[in-house]
Amino acid sequence: MLDKVADRAGKAAGGASGRAKAPGIDVSGVREAGQADRRGSMSKSDRGTIFELRDLTVKYGGTPAVKDVSMEIAAGEITALIGPSGCGKSTLIRCFNRMNDLIPSARVEGSCLYHGQDLYGPEVDPVEVRKRIGMVFQKPNPFPKSIKDNIAFGPKVLGLDDIEGRVERALHGAALWDEVKDRLDENAYSMSGGQQQRLCIARCIAVDPEVILMDEPCSALDPISTGKIEDLMMELKENYSIVIVTHNMQQAARVSDRTAFLIVELDAEERDRWGQLIEYDVTDKIFTNPADSRTEDYVTGKVG
Amino acid sequence: MARREMPNPMAERTRLATAGAHAAVVGNLGKQPRGDVWRGNLFLALLLLAVVLALIGLIALIVQSALKGAPAFSMDLFTEGPSIVNPETAGFRPAIIGSLYLIAGVVLLIVPLGVGAAVYLEEYADGDRWWNRLIELNIQNLAAVPSIIYGILGLAFFVRGPLSLGFVVAAGSLTLALLVLPTVILAAREAIRAVPPSIRDGSLALGATQWQTIRRQVLPASIPGIVTGVILAVSRALGEAAPLLLVGAATFVTADQPNPFEGGYSAMPVQIYNYALQAQDEFKALAAAGVVVMLVVLLALNSFAIWLRNRYEQQW
Repeated sequence: MLDKVADRAGKAAGGASGRAKAPGIDVSGVREAGQADRRGSMSKSDRGTIFELRDLTVKYGGTPAVKDVSMEIAAGEITALIGPSGCGKSTLIRCFNRMNDLIPSARVEGSCLYHGQDLYGPEVDPVEVRKRIGMVFQKPNPFPKSIKDNIAFGPKVLGLDDIEGRVERALHGAALWDEVKDRLDENAYSMSGGQQQRLCIARCIAVDPEVILMDEPCSALDPISTGKIEDLMMELKENYSIVIVTHNMQQAARVSDRTAFLIVELDAEERDRWGQLIEYDVTDKIFTNPADSRTEDYVTGKVG
Repeated sequence: MARREMPNPMAERTRLATAGAHAAVVGNLGKQPRGDVWRGNLFLALLLLAVVLALIGLIALIVQSALKGAPAFSMDLFTEGPSIVNPETAGFRPAIIGSLYLIAGVVLLIVPLGVGAAVYLEEYADGDRWWNRLIELNIQNLAAVPSIIYGILGLAFFVRGPLSLGFVVAAGSLTLALLVLPTVILAAREAIRAVPPSIRDGSLALGATQWQTIRRQVLPASIPGIVTGVILAVSRALGEAAPLLLVGAATFVTADQPNPFEGGYSAMPVQIYNYALQAQDEFKALAAAGVVVMLVVLLALNSFAIWLRNRYEQQW
């Protein structure tokens, strides 16, 4: 069954010719390759593969949280991870920028290739990974600083130049400039929840990542703020590859190009439970004509 | 008439439908039994009594010291040196300067050590390792060790023994710093722990290193809590006499302190202790006046700490 899933995933991203395989471990070269891909006005599937998971398993203290996930994530697209609570979608997305490293008991097995290079290779510095692969979290988490300093923080610690310009461009990029341009020195906590989340997106794009990971970015927001973030994602797609975890199926259907569906699997004695990738395909297909009956039950609301 | 008394059929049905629930609510939430009310009030009275007793103690101390010390209040307290023969012109000048020196040394020592230890324990140490748990347990226990024991330690290690500094201010500072270090570590850990993990995640996800995250996000956000802890520790160190007696805070230092590594020194609590031991009432008044000065300083320090804590209380 797993093989079939992997197969399908492979086919889904099948058109991905010319995948940017970076030689060696020079991640900066990788980055340029990715940007070159982005600049080209090629059709979706021609932009290449950005992530490739091979039998990825994440364990917390020996117990698996997700097991044997194999999938390819295309560059320049929005890829959604959906599934019921506890299916490991948040665990999975945290593999892409090695945020799981921060949990001492977490172990990652299998491989997670970024432009062909294993992110979990022994010579890879997680800090370098996170410079290129940004993340937006479930709850808006602005720093207890001014709006401007929130965005300037990333470029400053990375030693980038033109901080002022970056702040302004990032705020424009996150469709926040008009709302905050007169109060850049105010504390970020004076903003509304939706604005705070867009500030976090601005903060993320201020360091020019190639990928933006979003872990349920709208779950703490009202529908109007959610709509703004979704519009923003559609714009960001032009310049960034986006992976989003969402518990909101409509959101996945609205914004994503491809959708991966995970479920909670139980072992025979029902003692262990872990997340498993069931189906990964073009979003339209997942929501209109899924291959697996479990996907159909979930997206039509029969379970979950 | 009859029509008007006819109940609205809908309202009547509603009343009937909810009658059971109404009865149950009245039954459960009705009057409190008499005994409960009585016991509740008694308990409240006992609590108030405890508060009043505690306050009476403090107020009595302040009033009694102020009354006793009133005759001795003058600028001489701050400008004159000690004396055992001439209470009219005796003061606390070397003791005040000695205390300032001691406290400056204590702050210099406990801020880097306390914050460093707290950062290690909160941000780097794996709490599952036995040695880290041992360190934690020890710090908590050390916070409760009697101060005289630190005095003996200071005498053996700083005054004599390995450091052999002699009876100097530096030895006193080191001893007091050891005494209050556990408190500072605990307070700093508390403040660092209060910074939500989401702030660290946000910083790390941007590609900041762990040290950049600590230095530019975690520590700035926890400064108010750390400063509060340091102030409370300083106010404790300021009031300690017992360990200082062992590490050489001599009572009759008449000259100002030129060098923390040379010469005898005095401190406020030690000077007060000594004046209080003298037979003449004039000296006892001097001691009381010294107590008032110290209480004012300590209350000011503690109030500042509380103000600081409230002022910068962060709502995440």
